[in-house]
Amino acid sequence: MEIKLLTEHYSKNEFQGLDGYKKNGGYAVLPKALKMEPKAIIEEVKASGLRGRGGAGFPTGMKWSFLPANNEPRYLLCNADEGEPGTFKDRLMMERAPHQLIEGMIISAFAIGSKKSYIYIRGEYDYSKAVVKKAIDEAYKAGFLGKNILGSGFDHDMDIYSGAGAYICGEETGMISSLEGLKGQPKLKPPFPAVQGYLRKPTIVNNVETLAAVKYIIRDGAAAYKKHGTEKSAGTKLFSVSGNVVKPGNFEVPLGISLKDIIFNICGGLKPGRKLKAVIPGGSSAPVLTEAEAMKVTMDYEALAQMGSMLGSGAIIVIDDSNSMVDILQTTMHFYHHESCGQCTPCREGTGWLSKIMHDILDGHAEVKDIDLAIKISQQMMGKTICALSDAAAMPAISFLQKFRSEFEQHLAKTSHKSGDHHHA
Amino acid sequence: MSLVKRPNATAEWFLPGIIFGLWFTLKKMLWNLFNQKKMPTLNYPEEKYEYGPRFKGNHVLTVKKDGSIRCTACMLCATNCPAQCIKITAAESNDPSVEKYPIAYEIDVLRCVYCGFCEEACPVDAIRMGPEWQTAALNGSKFTYDIQQLAYRPQLKGGIVSVLDEKERHQAGI
Amino acid sequence: MPKVKINGKEVEVAAGSTIIQAFKASGQEICHYCWHPGLSVAGVCRLCMVQIEGMPKLQIACNTEVKEGMVINNTSPMVKETVQWGLDFHLINHPLDCPICDQAGECGLQDQYMQFGKYDPQMAEAKVKKHKVIDLGPTVVLDSERCILCSRCVRFTDEVSKTNELGIFNRGDRSEIGCVEGKPLNNNYSLNTVDICPVGALTSKDFRFRQRVWYLKEADSICPGCSTGCNVKVSYNEEGLWRIKPRENKEVNGHWMCDTGRDSYKFVNLKARLLAGKIGKRDSWQDVAVADAARSAGLKLRETVEKHGADSVALVLTGQYTNEEYADILKFFTGTLKSKNVYHWLNNPEKVNEFDGLLFRGDRNPNTKGLEAAMKNSGAAAGPTSGKWETLQSQLASKKVKVVLVAGPENQATFPDLNEKIKMLQQAETLVWMTAGHNATLDQAGSETWQIPLKTYIEKAGSFTNFQGKVQSFKAGTTIVPQALTLSEAAMLLSGHDIDWNLRPKGLGGPKTNYSITQRGTL
Repeated sequence: MEIKLLTEHYSKNEFQGLDGYKKNGGYAVLPKALKMEPKAIIEEVKASGLRGRGGAGFPTGMKWSFLPANNEPRYLLCNADEGEPGTFKDRLMMERAPHQLIEGMIISAFAIGSKKSYIYIRGEYDYSKAVVKKAIDEAYKAGFLGKNILGSGFDHDMDIYSGAGAYICGEETGMISSLEGLKGQPKLKPPFPAVQGYLRKPTIVNNVETLAAVKYIIRDGAAAYKKHGTEKSAGTKLFSVSGNVVKPGNFEVPLGISLKDIIFNICGGLKPGRKLKAVIPGGSSAPVLTEAEAMKVTMDYEALAQMGSMLGSGAIIVIDDSNSMVDILQTTMHFYHHESCGQCTPCREGTGWLSKIMHDILDGHAEVKDIDLAIKISQQMMGKTICALSDAAAMPAISFLQKFRSEFEQHLAKTSHKSGDHHHA
Repeated sequence: MSLVKRPNATAEWFLPGIIFGLWFTLKKMLWNLFNQKKMPTLNYPEEKYEYGPRFKGNHVLTVKKDGSIRCTACMLCATNCPAQCIKITAAESNDPSVEKYPIAYEIDVLRCVYCGFCEEACPVDAIRMGPEWQTAALNGSKFTYDIQQLAYRPQLKGGIVSVLDEKERHQAGI
Repeated sequence: MPKVKINGKEVEVAAGSTIIQAFKASGQEICHYCWHPGLSVAGVCRLCMVQIEGMPKLQIACNTEVKEGMVINNTSPMVKETVQWGLDFHLINHPLDCPICDQAGECGLQDQYMQFGKYDPQMAEAKVKKHKVIDLGPTVVLDSERCILCSRCVRFTDEVSKTNELGIFNRGDRSEIGCVEGKPLNNNYSLNTVDICPVGALTSKDFRFRQRVWYLKEADSICPGCSTGCNVKVSYNEEGLWRIKPRENKEVNGHWMCDTGRDSYKFVNLKARLLAGKIGKRDSWQDVAVADAARSAGLKLRETVEKHGADSVALVLTGQYTNEEYADILKFFTGTLKSKNVYHWLNNPEKVNEFDGLLFRGDRNPNTKGLEAAMKNSGAAAGPTSGKWETLQSQLASKKVKVVLVAGPENQATFPDLNEKIKMLQQAETLVWMTAGHNATLDQAGSETWQIPLKTYIEKAGSFTNFQGKVQSFKAGTTIVPQALTLSEAAMLLSGHDIDWNLRPKGLGGPKTNYSITQRGTL
């Protein structure tokens, strides 16, 4: 069930440092990759079916091939912002296996012809920042970064950059804006970052897990990677399971595993006496699944999309019947209200409006028609904005309110102060 | 064929008409004499007509709870007035929560037709048509009422307080 | 040149245009707040959404490039609902400030609101409260609650004035426009931000609360502030002029004008104007009808020339009159009086070629080039007076020149040494000063002086020639002082001819007093 591909050596403390990393097979793939043609590496990644592990699930090889020819310099940006609530897989990799990430990044940078890369780490991850900085320094000293890496003629510089507490800087163009020193606000697309990104130059933005997986694809070959997972969702995925399970944590499993398996076998199931109520499969932005849906679905991009949800970042939040869906939704809406960057009107005003309605529903100041109003607002927020934060706020609102409507109506009936009174503070 | 009724010979004598008119007047006078309580005439100033609550009399500019003028010089009343008798000069208030207020608000009551459009147009209940109507004056008097006259005249006893208060509205979050 | 169909109507646009430019070219309406033809694309208001055949989701028109054969529409029910909700989102935190907001009457939100008829708001929550009446600088006041964060003002200070004073602070619905630390909005183009602000968030301190825009009419004209000749439109009513805003002209001023030029309405209003002809000298002025003043001055000029020759009179011209007026006054002077003693009074010869990089030029006269051309055509001594003032001064001192006819500056603020020059010209035995505004130094004349009121640039039709030589003509907008003359009419009267008084425009009347008071009889 669990596969230890990326997480093979996590339990070893020495794996964090350069020597321990090299002792466990580290920096052995890099020389092999540097001898390959960059185009061959891209083809290998394409053949492996690796999809972006940060949330969007876009085929990585295809993203790399969008780079226009003859446009220098190119940049590789590693998205270690990990802002999606419920996700904590990248943090573990940066803390336990930073060199794995660095090696994967150097290989990827070589493939796309980038001489400079940045790891954008969210500001709250103090320990990760310190560990990765030390790892980069070690890599420079050992000659894995800098000029003429391992005598191949390939130069590469890597640096980390700290975020400052904005979820929106996990969006690729938001991150690019932040790196450029501007306010971390997403940019209009088109032009796409692969054509005009950081400093108006071709830029590839990939998640930590994606870049680390590249190393293993080159090491074992695309076919070996494709053996795990399903036809369209190949490979392994790190899932961060949290919520009302006995054993929460990060687990690496092949894509296509059933959600029931993850919750009840790998994570030890629910606490005694509790019943499963809902599962959020891909971070708070993914539409919630009811218990019935959760028991049927397998964790891969297609099955979840068919079920009306999404795989996202792979953050599974398990909710049992001791939690109130009203409370959870209010917290979620408050989060999106707080994190909206404020550029486009539907998101800026819509997240605020939704947050206030949820607050009123929680406090008992609302009526049943506010539920319909919230659904209508969310539907009108979707698809109308520069980036997907608006959709990320709208989708949980719609799914919670539609699938658990009876719970919301019961809550209103119980806590309504005066029937028929629509007073708002 | 003509539709006009031509007067016949009798009608061309004016005397029957005169007699009929005189008789009619006499009849009414005698009736009034013997039915004085039923006469429709009011003996003003001893008897005054009681107008309804929505009577459109002299204008009243309302004030806020602290006594300052409620009007925000939006000029909707001046725009809506069919007689164009309202002249307003706006100014910036030192209090940023008030922002705009009239330093001059004049109504020429001799132009005013007391239609009440200004009261309808006002968005903040700043002007009302009050119940007073006995304001006859001689030719040399000031027939252009200013803010002092409209908001703070003695009959208003310090000013009528407006129903809508900006501070309450702001605090309610609207 | 790709051809596209917009709402069924075909239009051809330049390659690389966006859909919103195609809409403008085809003359059809599309709602937008953050797009402005003179600024970069922001795409943040999300109101210009259109449906493109073949694309399932709606796209914004301001950032989508036009391709050959696109079929675009913004009238389908889906687009209408989207735009209506977009307006809703803009309004949910917008304060109920219409009574105190200057933008009322020209506000995009008001117009759209009435168009959709959204009279019953669905938002029943508390609105976000922000700072109000913030002083951004010497000319602009900000109200953050009204701001819809279209970022037009920020893009303006970044791209057009390049002074980078404004930014958006905080995030989400707590965002507010503000000045960057230590940099108040203090440049010569700051009031353009008030023009481009679609709502009443940015208001001009100069215009604030003075008048409601539905009481104003607009007239097109050319700014007389400097030799650039920006195209402007002047807002006026019967009480006078209230403000000046720029008009678009791709060749001259783009979409902008400078703050200095916006003051060009102050010298036009009644308070600053000369209202009647004045003859006499200090403490003994006589008010006469304008026509009589002009006629008697003309008589004096003609008599002086007969008695003492053509060189005993001098004509001093400033570059603030129209080409047609110069032709007429020079025809009178060189033709009727047969004198070539013409001086071009240039107030700031050392600054004439200054340019601030955007629009404002050092030559503060709108028609210097026109005057130079007119003087050359008429054969009079041409060229700026640097070096020639001494000639005039010596001629005055030696009493060779007895009468000086001056067409003085109507925009007296642009002549900083005006009073000294007046004193110098008052050395003449007789001074005939034609001007639009009154002047205290002039009233202190020691010798016999005529003051003849003239019309300003907004009251006459004509043309100015800007620094490039481009001739821009304009029509009369309104008449503030109907009895004042144009320089052409003054030339006719000075030469002894008469003008058709019936053909002259009547004024709008000035501030109304209630006629009913004045027309009532006495008891």
